Amino acid sequence: MGLIADNERETIRTLFDERLAGEVEIVMFTERESPIIIPGKEPCEMCGQTEELLKEVTSLSEKLKLTVHEISNANEEAQMLGIDRVPSFVFKGASRGGVRFFGIPSGYEFSAMLEDLVDVSSGTTDLSEETREYLSALTEPVNIKVFTTPT
Amino acid sequence: MAVESEHVTADVIEAMEFPDLSRRYAVRGVPKIVINDTTEFVGALPEKEYLAQVRAAVEANGKE
Repeated sequence: MGLIADNERETIRTLFDERLAGEVEIVMFTERESPIIIPGKEPCEMCGQTEELLKEVTSLSEKLKLTVHEISNANEEAQMLGIDRVPSFVFKGASRGGVRFFGIPSGYEFSAMLEDLVDVSSGTTDLSEETREYLSALTEPVNIKVFTTPT
Repeated sequence: MAVESEHVTADVIEAMEFPDLSRRYAVRGVPKIVINDTTEFVGALPEKEYLAQVRAAVEANGKE
């Protein structure tokens, strides 16, 4: 028994089979537990569970792949993606812009993440024509932060 | 939105795990949305209104 319940696992597998259009790589940054205790430095509480959850998710479709980086060893990649916190992960697929997650997606956020995977796999969304036109005409950077809590 | 434009980056942040960010952006309710660190709102909005917020943030940037 993993973090995802057995019945839910089957539902997700079906969702992926039916709706994942192309491959998506999930690139995760973590901080593994160090045998050395550094004073003043908090261990990453949710890193282990986040990695476990992403492993379970990516095991449900051949189109999904998980790459895990220790953040201290992957500075260049982390910097390129603008990642300075753990646990965190980004979706690499057919998305034009960046889709990044900080912290473990649980509760409602977990289902939202699955939908995001589907969108990134195809590079399309069900946004309205008006929204898509506006977005495709954008010429300057827009950063959208969405704060959530586990529900 | 990030899927549709190379200029958009979307960050989903778990507020409890990153209390410093929650403080910096004064998160008191969720979902809280902050666009370009300037425009913000709490709660789910219909797509049209959400887009209006993005527009407002982009236009505000242009004026600076």
